[in-house]
Order: sequence, then C-alpha cells, then structure tokens
Amino acid sequence: MTSTTVTAATLRSLPFTVILGTGLALLIIAAALLAPYLAPFDPMRMAAGPRLAAPSAAHLFGTDEFGRDLLSRVLMGGRLSLGIGVAAVVSGLAIGGLLGLLAAFSGRLVQAVLLRVIDVLYSFPDTLIALALVAFLGPGIENATLAIAISLVPFYARVTYGLAAAERAKPYIEAAQLAGVRPGRLVRVHVMPNIGQSLIVMGTLGFSSAILSAAGLSFLGLGVQPPSPEWGAILASGRNYITKAPWILLFPGVAICLTVLSFNLIGDSLRDLVDPRRKGRP
Amino acid sequence: MQLPLRRKVERDFWENRLLMLFLILKRALVAFLTVLVVIVLSGVLIHVVPGDPVTAMMAQSVTATPEAMAEMRARLGLDLPVWQQVGLYAWHVLQGDLGTSIRSSESVAQLLLQRLPNTFSLAVSGLVIALAIGIPLGFLAAVNRGRLADTAVMVIAVLGVSIPAFWLGLILMQVFSLKLGWLPVAGSGWRNIILPAFTLGLTYCALVARMTRSALIEVLAEDYIRTARARGLRERQVLLVHALRPALISIVTVVGLVFAYLLGGQVIIENVFSWNGIGRLAVQAMLERDYPMIQGFIVVFATSVVIVSMLIDILYGFLDPRMRQK
Repeated sequence: MTSTTVTAATLRSLPFTVILGTGLALLIIAAALLAPYLAPFDPMRMAAGPRLAAPSAAHLFGTDEFGRDLLSRVLMGGRLSLGIGVAAVVSGLAIGGLLGLLAAFSGRLVQAVLLRVIDVLYSFPDTLIALALVAFLGPGIENATLAIAISLVPFYARVTYGLAAAERAKPYIEAAQLAGVRPGRLVRVHVMPNIGQSLIVMGTLGFSSAILSAAGLSFLGLGVQPPSPEWGAILASGRNYITKAPWILLFPGVAICLTVLSFNLIGDSLRDLVDPRRKGRP
Repeated sequence: MQLPLRRKVERDFWENRLLMLFLILKRALVAFLTVLVVIVLSGVLIHVVPGDPVTAMMAQSVTATPEAMAEMRARLGLDLPVWQQVGLYAWHVLQGDLGTSIRSSESVAQLLLQRLPNTFSLAVSGLVIALAIGIPLGFLAAVNRGRLADTAVMVIAVLGVSIPAFWLGLILMQVFSLKLGWLPVAGSGWRNIILPAFTLGLTYCALVARMTRSALIEVLAEDYIRTARARGLRERQVLLVHALRPALISIVTVVGLVFAYLLGGQVIIENVFSWNGIGRLAVQAMLERDYPMIQGFIVVFATSVVIVSMLIDILYGFLDPRMRQK
C-alpha cells in the first residue's frame, strides 16, 4: 500500500513534460518492437497496392513509388532508426564515459591534453563529425552507427568529466584514496554509483541527436541504403514525388519529429535535476 | 600612498589595452592550435578507409590502371608511413595547398573558395533570421515567466529542436514553391536564398529563444533591476535598458555556438535546395569518394567555425571587461 502511494506521489511531482515524453517514447518503442505484428504488409513487398496511392482504408499511410505499403515501412523503419540510436548512444556513452573518467582521474598532463582535444571536437556540430566519418568509412548502416556513436563521444566525455570532477572534490573520495583504494576500484565502487543515474539521463539527450543524425545521413544517401525502410531513406526517395505523393514525406517526417520530441521532453526536464552546473540554464 | 587620479586613470587605460591585446593573442593561439588538430585529424582520416583508399576512389573510374593507381598513391603520400604522410599533408595545408580533386582534377582549395561566398551568405541570412525571431521570443518568455506566453514559447522551442531541418525544408518547399508557386524550388539566385534561409532560421531560432530566455531571467534576478524598479522607473525602461542590454551581451557568446550548429545543418539544407555552397560540394564528394575534396571540406569548414568563435570571444572581451581578466 505504502509503495503505491509513494509511486503516485513521485509521479505527481514529476513535470508534466516528462510524463508526456515518457508516454510518447514508450508508445514509439512498443510500435517498433511490435512492428512485425502491427505492419499490415511486408515492408519490402512491391505492388502491395497501386503505386503512389493516397492514404486510404487499405493503406492508412498510402503507398510509395513501388506500391509498397508506407505504414508498414514507417513501422519497420522505427526498428532501424531506434536500433541505430540505441547502439550509437550505448557505444558513444561507453567510450565517452571512459574518456571522461580518464580525464578526471589521471595526471595533469593527460587531463590537459584529453580535455583540450575533447573541447576541440565538441566545438563542432555532431552531425558534421558523423558526416565526416561516414565519408571515409563508406555508407551503410554499420558505418553510420559507428560514425554517430563517435560523434557523440565528445559530448558524453565532457558530461562525464564534469560529473566525475565534481564527485572527485568530495571528502569521501579523498578518504577512500587515503585508505589506499586504487583508482580503478575507486571509480567502479565509489564514483560510478553516484554519477550513473545522471549519465543515463544525459544518454537520453544524446539519443534524440543520434536519431536526427541517422535520418540526415540516410537522407543524403550516406547512411542506411535503400530499399531498407529507414525514416531518412524513405524521405530521400519520397523527395522525388513531393508533388504527386506528399504523404511519403509526411509520415516518416512526423515519426522522426515525435521520436526526437519525446526524448527531448524527457531529457530536458531531467537534465536540470541532475546537472549541477546547468541549474537554471537552458 | 595613493596615486594621483590622473596617473591612476592613465595606468588603468594602458592596463585595459594590454589585457585586451593579451586576450586577442591567447584566442588566436588557441584557434591556430585547434585548426592544427583538425588538419592532423583529417590527414589521419584517410587511413580509416576500410581496405585501400586508392582502390575505393578508383573503383568508379575507367582509367584505373596499376600505373595510375601507383601514381595517385604517391601523390597522396600513401606510400609513406602514416606519420610522415600526415605531416606532409599538414605542411601542404598550412601553405594553402589542399590537394587536387580526384574527380575534376582541379585544385580543392579553389573549388571550395569559389563556393564559400554562397555558403556564408546563406549562413548569415539564416543566422539573422534565427536571431530576429529567437531574441524577441526569448524576451517574451522571460518577461512572462511561468505564464501562458512562456509556456507557448517553450513549446515552440522544444518543437523547433525536434524537427529535422531538412524535413522542414522539404515542407516549406512543398508549400511555398510547389503549391503556392511564390518562390523557386532550387538554384542560387537572390530569390532562391529565401526558403533555405528561413528553413535554417526557423530551425535554429528555438535555440536562440531558449538562450535569450535564460540569460534574461538571470539578469532580471539581479539587485540593480530591483533598484531600478524601486526608483520608480517604468517597466518598459527597466526591461529594455537595464535588463536587455546585459542579457544581449551574454547572448553574443552563444551566437558562435548557434552559428556552428547552423553551418552543420546547412550541409544538408544546401542539398535539399540545390544551393551551390561547400556543403553541396562536400556531399557530392562523399558520394563519389573524392577523399582530397572531403579532407579539404573538413579543414575549410572547421577553420570557418574556429575563426567565427574566436571573433566572438574577442568581441565579448570588448563588451564585457570581466572577460579580459580571465
């Protein structure tokens, strides 16, 4: 009984935007996970209906230039987009987190060099870093994911460094150091549990940026390649039918917007709670 | 012992000049080092190409004889050890030589420089629109903090950062060019700049609005605002004279950041509207695997971002004396 009251109270104290964002995000994730069951057609099946047909009862989102069912493609595309986002965020957070911790708990020289390089990379928009990397790695879903992951590293490294440096200044860390706890164990046992939660919140902020980068790369033909139904890739091919079949542009675009919006709503509201340096800032 | 007033004023005058000069030199050094890091990174990048970069580049070419490939390898310095090749590349770039485009056999530096004015005119137009919309919106939100206007602006702001710029561009194109026929679809004339500039402006005004709002909220909490109100000044005067000016100074610092993000988003927007800037050139080069061209783009682009942020830091030093002390 007590536990339910506590949850209800906690829920009420959360900003409305977090609840809205979480609800929306859960809905989108569920749609992506259940896509094979929800999709009325095989997303790759050509001539599932007439070519470039407007939305109707048979094809709720209409069809594309090959007569493929757009609803099925957008649903299955969600799996690709979210999958790229999750993979990129997890690996970006792992690498960036390690670099940030390294910078916070190493000697002055290593720290100065690391922070400088991270700052240099951070001054460039992440979409651009991803674009530059894909240019050399070559197009494709794996390379795009890798490039987006690396593009998020400077952000995560900076955030982790900020959190870890604030933690390092606390007396209990000094006490642990004096007690002879080695740096590796210090980070694992003492620092990580204290900053882990904040890092996860920051992860959601990188997620929306990853989704946008993935869509942008695929739109330019440098990410997921057709006929895979990634949202950006659908937009790229739909672009040629902008007058005849605007719905090809409408639905994948709305899907991107809603996904990014939901994670922005969650991340923005939670960020103020976890980041001591950003209190009261945008 | 106190200095005579005149000598004190004179000393402060020179101290200020000296601090300003010091700030400029420091920022210029940091900018140079940053560009150097980027040059080295873009030199290294060609080695992350899976397999052999020369094979990848020549894959679409009919003249891919072993001799031609060996010649290209030598020209790009790929037959040298990595550190030598990167050093050689950096040495050439510092002398203004960005190499030769594989596709067009023209100088990369020249191709990029030709398009730079187009890119800058679009970026500046986008920035002006973003500021012209974003600053008043942020102002409105901060003044009405917690009320309906604030909520509305914040909703617009979060929507703004959630809509992909290229999708917004396509929608604007569909409505204003194709449906209404008011503006051309693509090209590089003066009428053509309107849609891409508004796409960028509308996308990034959200960022400006949020930053303006928080800067102004911070200023409005200051003691001197309370004093100004207590002195019975009209609210209009308090807001426009006492609050807005210091808030604008701190907004100057974020303009550099917004500009960098705007330039990044512009790479895709140039492709949506076939705007003849370096972003379009770069994506073309990426699809054709023209590596010297891509490297050149990275260097030129990064240098632009670095120079703009340097200029803004220096400007900030002029506007806010506290910055010089740091």
